[in-house]
Amino acid sequence: MDYDFKMKTQKERTKVEDLFNYEGCKVGRGTYGHVYKAKWKETSDGKEYALKQIDGTGLSMSACREIALLRELKHQNVITLIRVFLSHTDRKVFLLIDYAEHDLWHIIKFHRAAKAAKKQVVVPRGMVKSLLYQIFDGIHYLHSNWVLHRDLKPANILVMGDGPERGRVKIADMGFARLFNAPLKPLADLDPVVVTFWYRAPELLLGARHYTKAIDIWAIGCIFAELLTSEPIFHCRQEDIKTSNPYHHDQLDRIFNVMGFPQDKDWEDIKKMPEHHTLTKDFKRSSYSTCSLAKYMDRHKIKPDSKAFHLLQKLLLMDPNKRITSEQAMQDAYFQEEPLPTQDVFAGCPIPYPKREFLTDDDQEDKSDTKRQQQQAAAQQQQQQQQQQAQQQQQQSQLQAQAQAQQQQQQQQAQQQQQQQQQHSHEPNSKRVRLSGPGGGPQPNQQVHPGQQQQQDFHQQQVAAAAAAQQQQQQQQQVQAQQMMFNQQQQNFQQRF
Amino acid sequence: MAGNFWQSSHSQQWILDRQDLIRERQYDLQILTEEEYQKVFIFFANVIQVLGEQLKLRQQVIATATVYFKRFYARNSLKNIDPLLLAPTCILLASKVEEFGVISNSRLISICQSVIKSKFSYAYTTDFPYRTNHILECEFYLLENLDCCLIVYQPYRPLLQLVQDMGHDDQLLTLSWRIVNDSLRTDVCLLYPPYQIAIACLQIACVILQKDSQKSWFAELNVDLDKVQEIVRAIVNLFELWKDWKEKDEIQMLLAKIPKPKPAPQR
Repeated sequence: MDYDFKMKTQKERTKVEDLFNYEGCKVGRGTYGHVYKAKWKETSDGKEYALKQIDGTGLSMSACREIALLRELKHQNVITLIRVFLSHTDRKVFLLIDYAEHDLWHIIKFHRAAKAAKKQVVVPRGMVKSLLYQIFDGIHYLHSNWVLHRDLKPANILVMGDGPERGRVKIADMGFARLFNAPLKPLADLDPVVVTFWYRAPELLLGARHYTKAIDIWAIGCIFAELLTSEPIFHCRQEDIKTSNPYHHDQLDRIFNVMGFPQDKDWEDIKKMPEHHTLTKDFKRSSYSTCSLAKYMDRHKIKPDSKAFHLLQKLLLMDPNKRITSEQAMQDAYFQEEPLPTQDVFAGCPIPYPKREFLTDDDQEDKSDTKRQQQQAAAQQQQQQQQQQAQQQQQQSQLQAQAQAQQQQQQQQAQQQQQQQQQHSHEPNSKRVRLSGPGGGPQPNQQVHPGQQQQQDFHQQQVAAAAAAQQQQQQQQQVQAQQMMFNQQQQNFQQRF
Repeated sequence: MAGNFWQSSHSQQWILDRQDLIRERQYDLQILTEEEYQKVFIFFANVIQVLGEQLKLRQQVIATATVYFKRFYARNSLKNIDPLLLAPTCILLASKVEEFGVISNSRLISICQSVIKSKFSYAYTTDFPYRTNHILECEFYLLENLDCCLIVYQPYRPLLQLVQDMGHDDQLLTLSWRIVNDSLRTDVCLLYPPYQIAIACLQIACVILQKDSQKSWFAELNVDLDKVQEIVRAIVNLFELWKDWKEKDEIQMLLAKIPKPKPAPQR
């Protein structure tokens, strides 16, 4: 290699540490490496970036794939690669990407902790729907470009915090992502086992050798269920992630315990699965005769006649050939039903979740079960302080409320009325205050449902009507408040256009 | 990204302008004639091909490696990095990107050594001089110079579709596939989108096989026929050059002539 060429490129090359402050700002640790929260040194715009330092030295195959794919992908719901830094002296690779303050793993953890402490988290009624819609939007983009994610799980679904892209989903961690149009090797040969067990589709657990779009769809179904209930639907004792055998008895048992054992007609090709003989040896259909997804979700207060449940059922079909595509999912009735999905998943409301904390080097963020429980206790404490005000609000945890039956609301009516009075006496409606504040509104929306524009007029009429009838039942007021909120946000949206 | 070519980095950054290419090569073309320059690249395309075959790589990976190689020198003089070092580096990077599974560093080096000795002894009288650390260092420089654009679209997939559309013909597919391989010895992969290259290669194959009946099929294609003709000309020129070229007699002289990297000054 030419000396002058080396010197010249060395001079032109900017070092990541010269451009960015990130020391002591580690916010994440994964199998891939460390993630730091970084800010420009020179400019003081305060814009935050995530700097991902890839583990090990040099260009691993997964680093290569991640760079190659992210360099090409451009979608508002897929993380953007801004720049790659190569540190020649220590052979380290850094990726500069969007900084997202939140992710579904932390969000769900927060809700779990709140649930355990019988606290309520105030979020927009349509938040789960908005999250899910944007996940599908991003995955549809990946799938139509023949890219499979293959490692979808809550930790990989990021959500932008306050800022120009507030409340926008970003699908991340594409290290495992593969092109699947004419793969040069059977995809299963590269990493035998890649998707975290809980989100792994049954065909993978039965030894499927080719990854498909349907595998990502199953994982989204799992995430959807977890968003609705705050519990991982196929929770199972975790073992070593890198086992070479895809067959996993306990995980299958867990799936059957929730879903029931598949009938022959439900999944005809199950007989062709490589591990089918092990399956028939290890499992008896009769052990799961009383199990069904409807029962499971009903136990978690998701009614089997709700649109949310109907969609979930189509995502969590055991037969991969029957699972719906991301495109079909985006057309689902669930997304046409109010509340409609919003571009800002927080719909302009204050974000109740804490910001990422900095990690020290020995404080590894372990996502195993035991650690989860410890963290949960800690999170509860933290949350208690943050939620003291919020808990008084009559609007219950809307993450669940959107699917909760009205019946239940009525039962709680008396109690809520009390709370409401309290709230009105010494606390302004924080949501509305925030909504009118600067920067709180949603972004110009290219992806929101086409029906939304028409819906808007409808809303305004309703609000006017509701405003005229001030002294109605509490339940109606609740609806009204939500619609007001939605409407303000719509107006805001219109102004921005 | 097998998705949309028009939104790819290949389309947006790496379809180069011919004038631009000539300008970038000015330094090297003061030392080599244009024909000699092309012959050097034919030789190294062969080196990459043989290395790839020895490593049992698929043609797609070999083609990607060759395009990396050509892209690097589209922006750099031959002096900057010894092409004998860059060739295996391109293979290494392409095999990672094209998901072929990892080639171990030691295997790559030993294949380089044996290939230079057994297949290219007419060009190199000394052993393959590089080690793993050279290749890994070079890989970073390559990635930088490619501006991290690693996904390369190749003419093979559009070719398959075109042949299918024409009414599948094995003989035609085999020949046009080979012509696509040959096209890697020209600059067309730097200048034209892959589907145009596929059409041009198919057209040449039809002429060779005297499939006159396909003329109407070509006429109905919605494609810039001038561009296709430019590609055809470039590939036919290659065949002409090949006909009279005695590579084994000339290559040592050519390799001696190319500008060489200067090592770091001794301290």
